[in-house]
Amino acid sequence: MQLRTRIAVTFLALLAVVLAAALLAVSAANQTNAEREINRQLETGRLVFERALETNRRQLAQAAQVLAADFGFREAVASRDAETIVSALQNHGARIGASLAVLLSLDGRVLASTDPTIAIGENFRQADALRRADPGERGPSVAVANGHVHQLVMVPVRSPLPVAWVVMGFALDEQAVRELASVTGLDVTLATRTLGGWTAAASTLPKAQLPGALVALAQGGDVQGDLALRALPLIANPDVAVTVALTRSVAEARRPFDRLTDRLVLIALASLSLTAVAAFWVARNITRPLQALAGVVERIRGGRYDAEVEIERRDEIGTLAEGLQLMRAAVESRDHDIRTLAYTDRLTGLMNRTAFAAALAEALRAGEPRTALALINVRRFRRINECLGYGVGDEVLRQIAARLDEPPRLASRVGRVAGDYFAAYTPLGAGTTPEQWGAQLLARLAAPVVVSGQPIDVSTTVGLASAPDDSADADDLLRCADLALERARRDNADLRRYDAAWRVATPEQLSLLGELKRAIDEGELKLAFQPKIQLTSGELCGVEALMRWQHPTRGLLPPGAFVPFAEQAGFIRKLTRYALREATVIGAQWHRAGRPLPIAVNISADDLADPGFEAGVAEALRESGLPPSLLALEVTESGFIADPAQALGRLEALRLLGVGLSIDDFGTGYSSLSYLTRMPVDELKIDRSFVSALGSSSEVAAVVRAALEMAHSLGLKVVAEGIEDVATAQQLAVLGCDVGQGYLYSKPLLRADFERWRDAQPLPATSPPSILPAPRAVAARSR
Amino acid sequence: MTRLAATACLMLAAGGACAAPLTVAISTADGAPYADVVAILDPAEGPAPTPAEPGSAVIDQVHKAFVPRVSVIRTGTAVYFPNSDRIRHQVYSLSAARSFNLKLYAGTAAPPVVFGQSGLVVLGCNIHDSMVGFVAVVDTPYFGRTGADGRARIEAPAGRYRLRLWHPELAATVAPRAVVLGAEPQTLELRVARGDDPSAVSPWVD
Repeated sequence: MQLRTRIAVTFLALLAVVLAAALLAVSAANQTNAEREINRQLETGRLVFERALETNRRQLAQAAQVLAADFGFREAVASRDAETIVSALQNHGARIGASLAVLLSLDGRVLASTDPTIAIGENFRQADALRRADPGERGPSVAVANGHVHQLVMVPVRSPLPVAWVVMGFALDEQAVRELASVTGLDVTLATRTLGGWTAAASTLPKAQLPGALVALAQGGDVQGDLALRALPLIANPDVAVTVALTRSVAEARRPFDRLTDRLVLIALASLSLTAVAAFWVARNITRPLQALAGVVERIRGGRYDAEVEIERRDEIGTLAEGLQLMRAAVESRDHDIRTLAYTDRLTGLMNRTAFAAALAEALRAGEPRTALALINVRRFRRINECLGYGVGDEVLRQIAARLDEPPRLASRVGRVAGDYFAAYTPLGAGTTPEQWGAQLLARLAAPVVVSGQPIDVSTTVGLASAPDDSADADDLLRCADLALERARRDNADLRRYDAAWRVATPEQLSLLGELKRAIDEGELKLAFQPKIQLTSGELCGVEALMRWQHPTRGLLPPGAFVPFAEQAGFIRKLTRYALREATVIGAQWHRAGRPLPIAVNISADDLADPGFEAGVAEALRESGLPPSLLALEVTESGFIADPAQALGRLEALRLLGVGLSIDDFGTGYSSLSYLTRMPVDELKIDRSFVSALGSSSEVAAVVRAALEMAHSLGLKVVAEGIEDVATAQQLAVLGCDVGQGYLYSKPLLRADFERWRDAQPLPATSPPSILPAPRAVAARSR
Repeated sequence: MTRLAATACLMLAAGGACAAPLTVAISTADGAPYADVVAILDPAEGPAPTPAEPGSAVIDQVHKAFVPRVSVIRTGTAVYFPNSDRIRHQVYSLSAARSFNLKLYAGTAAPPVVFGQSGLVVLGCNIHDSMVGFVAVVDTPYFGRTGADGRARIEAPAGRYRLRLWHPELAATVAPRAVVLGAEPQTLELRVARGDDPSAVSPWVD
């Protein structure tokens, strides 16, 4: 429910409840009051009525007494002259308007009467009651005579002792009833009961209501229909009864109270309506600005900060609006800051990786015909940081950034995508190759960077990729450039352009990655062992452990099928650790079994970049119990070309562990001999490409011979790989090669097969010769 | 002894004049003397007594009351109604035996009223309703009225008589009784019931 409605409804409901309660209370009070009022009126009416009757009686009595005291009348009575007496009665009765005058003997017999229906000599029915009521006592006495009801008084005639009674009566007729009604304020009904039931002698009630009043009288009730009734019995004899019924119309008595209730209802309705209007008005006044504010908030939420809060009020809502306005500005400012932080490199002010990738994607989407992307790495930047401090390192990065970004601009956008990695892209004009553009970049960065007046040589490597040739997707294009950069670093070259042939990340290989992870857990990776044979004696002198993948669907896979991919995918460290653990365990078992055999494990360039690598090797040795001298690690040339200083340090650390080190695939890389002299290795493995061509090419033979001589002069043992025939083996032996390895002796065998093969070899006469010179000697030589 | 005297007197009465007084002593039921009781001796036999010259009587009005309240007189007696009060009275009677109406007067201005017919006459004052007086008018000359001691003395010749007793407030009519008077005086002691309604007048029996 809307706030506006809620406020209004709440107030209305509250008011309605209060009004309803008030109405109920008033209505109940009115009901009670009306009943009480009716009772009060009836009671008052009764008192007034009785008083009126009494007053009548007194007047009547007085008149009767005057008559009785009249000497002439007394003489007439004394004379017993009936006609005279009747005339006297008529005369005196007429004086006071009496309807009846009767002379009674002392014992109550009629002596004379003005009413001819009252027979002379008959017993006057009410005489006893009247005598009891006289003198001065209250209480009306009535009589029915000649069909009329009369109020009667009786006084004695004295001469001077009582000699007779004079009875005088007033007719209680319509006239009298009307007068009584006017003094009591009630309807007065005079009813008589004879054998035929109640009949009304006189009444001020409307004819329609008369039967109801008579029924009430007959039943003795005090309410009949609309009439509230109070009965005053005047005569209650078994054969005749006279009762005065005072009645009040209940509806009429209630009318003032009903009017009050009606008025209250009207007032309640009016106040409800007014309150409704007022409540809605107030609520709207409150909620309209709130709605406006809600709209502003909604716009701000949507990132639109242009919405001005236009509410000028002095109340809380005004304060809220002002607060919202301030908040809007603050949010806008912070949003700007956050965007800046999120998309800007703080050190150089260039775009960061996220922003650059987005910009590149945008540019590619915009559909430039050709776009060249360059990833630029500052070579040996780590050395700069380490030797000259981070401040200088930062300054170098800043200056490089400035050069890349300064006019004339070489690139549309430049970003710093990682520590010492920059990226730039540019549309390529017709006839321009990415390599040319890359060369321009290199040229701009060629000059030494001057920090605090000191020139620092900075060399950079560039990896290039171009859209749409290599990829039309920004992320993919960046990966291509990254591969090109890596290739350039590995090749120790300034610049490489991405070659589609490098693309290995086929969908098949992508699935391979997941499988490879599983393979380690499931134990699908096995070690295969290829023996190393002393060429001079033909004895087994060592073994190279090679990784085999017992793939559940593709069968046994050689290392070449998954190791390069693992290297690219950053998975090679895990593979190496796995191989190391397996090899040391097996080597230790052989050692404990009395058949110690040096085991060589291949490690990759990535392992050399792993600061925890030597610790991992030491742990494998410790856990397996394999003496370090029985473990050798084979590193390819490329393994230390990317960062020779780092590789050198790592190899020296490994050397200190006491494990053997050898250079694998010698001759395929571009390593300089100067590195070779500095490497703390004790073995050189000549690549199989030389061995296989040895017999057919005298040039190769010359190279092999030179290598052998160089190695031996450095004190290194030389192993020839890929020996497949006896002639080659003999030729190598002649050339002075120490150890041979190849299908001539055995292909790589899984452990069980290898142990069977080993056990089939003739045992050496003496203990196996060490293939390793003393570490100390190597260390000395490496300097 | 009483019987002897009575017998003697009867004998005397038969032969000649002989008079002996009769004393009537009336008391109420509780033994108290009953005043204002009228005692009347009607001769039971023989000729009516020779009418004497009618005398006169006085009924005074003192302190708004007739004094005496009860009078007994012989037929033809003229009664004077002097007024001893300083206020005026208007004495009247509406009784059948003698109705009259004196004009308003003071002192002795009123003329005497002759009561010529026997019977009971009730006196009233037109001004003062509380004033009630009774006059018993009788044909016989032998009557008396009890005083404060309840006694009345009646002089009558010896002979047989009928004794009537009347008082305005008797509870019941006292039946007449036969009395024989002889030469000896005799006293008759009687008890009567006294009524308690002052407005109810005992009926008069001739």
